[in-house]
Amino acid sequence: MSQNDLRKELEQAPREPLLPIEKKLILGSLITGFVLLGVLLLLNRFLGS
Amino acid sequence: MTDTTAARTQTATVPTLTEDWLSVVVGLLFFVLALVSLGTVDLLGWAATTKIWTDPTHALAPFSKSFSGLNGLAALVATFLLLLGVLSATVAALRQDIGRFAIAFTATFWLAYAAWALGSYAHFAAVTPADFKKYGIGWSLRLTNEGGYIVALILGLIIANFFPRLAAWLEAAIRPELYIKIAIVILGGFIAVTAAGKLNLASSVFLRGIAAIIEAYLIYWAVVYYVARQWFGFGREWAAPLASGISICGVAASIATGGAIRARPQVAVLVSSLVVVFAVVEVLVLPFLAQTFLAHEPLVAAAWMGLAVKTDGAAVAAGNITESLILAKSAAEGVHYQPGWILGTTTTIKVFIDIFIGIWAFILAHIWTTYINVTAPGGRAKLAEIYERFPKFVFGFVLTFVIGLALALSLGKSQATQLTSAIGEANNFRVIFFVLTFFSIGVLSNFRKLWEEGIGKLAAVYIVSLFGFIIWVGFVISWLFFHGVKPPLAG
Repeated sequence: MSQNDLRKELEQAPREPLLPIEKKLILGSLITGFVLLGVLLLLNRFLGS
Repeated sequence: MTDTTAARTQTATVPTLTEDWLSVVVGLLFFVLALVSLGTVDLLGWAATTKIWTDPTHALAPFSKSFSGLNGLAALVATFLLLLGVLSATVAALRQDIGRFAIAFTATFWLAYAAWALGSYAHFAAVTPADFKKYGIGWSLRLTNEGGYIVALILGLIIANFFPRLAAWLEAAIRPELYIKIAIVILGGFIAVTAAGKLNLASSVFLRGIAAIIEAYLIYWAVVYYVARQWFGFGREWAAPLASGISICGVAASIATGGAIRARPQVAVLVSSLVVVFAVVEVLVLPFLAQTFLAHEPLVAAAWMGLAVKTDGAAVAAGNITESLILAKSAAEGVHYQPGWILGTTTTIKVFIDIFIGIWAFILAHIWTTYINVTAPGGRAKLAEIYERFPKFVFGFVLTFVIGLALALSLGKSQATQLTSAIGEANNFRVIFFVLTFFSIGVLSNFRKLWEEGIGKLAAVYIVSLFGFIIWVGFVISWLFFHGVKPPLAG
């Protein structure tokens, strides 16, 4: 792929709507992430004290 | 991982031993050679190190005082020859052109080391009033002698952007990924000896490492992927490697993700190039911000570097510069922290993040092949991919850490001092591999070429995500975990 092709592709690529599985991945990751961080923070406080 | 060559070699012939495994072998070699000095023979004490200087003839010296009769330049030539031999053997094991490598490495080594030594010039490196008096100077940039990393990086950038032919000629030896992996393997032993003195604090650093995994994979990735898809309209093939490159670990993550979702190799190459360029900007800015605003919270600064600076090389190096800047500022205020904790914290966080690349790539591969680009059962993601994508140099890091910790905890007081000195000799080579990494990252960063490749829109996602989100969330969470926790005081 040439540089011009790549630039054109990046500029003109058609929009792909988010699929339900992508929405699940994004939301699931965020919810799990914040819950786990909360647990670790509590553990950190507990170990610290 | 810091090198776009990894993406290029992905499609080339796969040698028996990969660069990843060879970095473990070379790192262990230096670690073991250093440990021999626990006996009666000192095998690495002759290697060159730099000292702060005003007269260039006093810039170099052998690392160990037992070799003080050796001329500094002779020590550097011997150091170069050892590295040339070891790395040429590595290149031979990769079935690449040794002659081309040897010539390019010779130039790379001397250019990079000259920049490093220049960084030790007293007007750049002296920090304390005692230093000023000792070297008879009235002013200094107070960068410490590790400001030499920045000088090496800037020299690399000058070559990449103003002397592209020279950069192309050096290409065979521009291997930041190999250099940083070797350095990290050696660093495992150094961190272990540092951690042995304060195991409670070390365990809290590990807990922070787990938090870093959650931040990078579950929070950063999801947000960057959403921003790339919804705000900038990127397709899935671009958005997934971009999200991994920006939020996880730069080059390694974007390549692993590109492979996992079966993206074209060019996608990972372009994203990797972008990551390296931004890592350069971060290394030049963030450690100085950390010194200015976080000198009284050294471990918050350390964790922040591990999370905010992408690519292993740049992150660990940023941790190193942050450590030297904060230690210097604290020393000027009369507080002398034990060296190694800031660098150790940044490295631990980065290594923890690296460990999960394989698992994350597998999860993405499963989602893509099962729900998005539905593939016949034979073409779907396999569990073996987790091991295939696991960064093998982590094995080396863990091994030197475990051996170093076991030795530090089991040896008596006099032998413990000897161990610290032995690990210091290995660490001297780690510093040289860092210098090579910095220089190489600079040489790879041709801004004009990247712009011509149409990287502007990708860079916009990077800027929005990094400066609008990653840096600040990384800072807040580092603060929550490390606020008030200080490294032990020296002595």
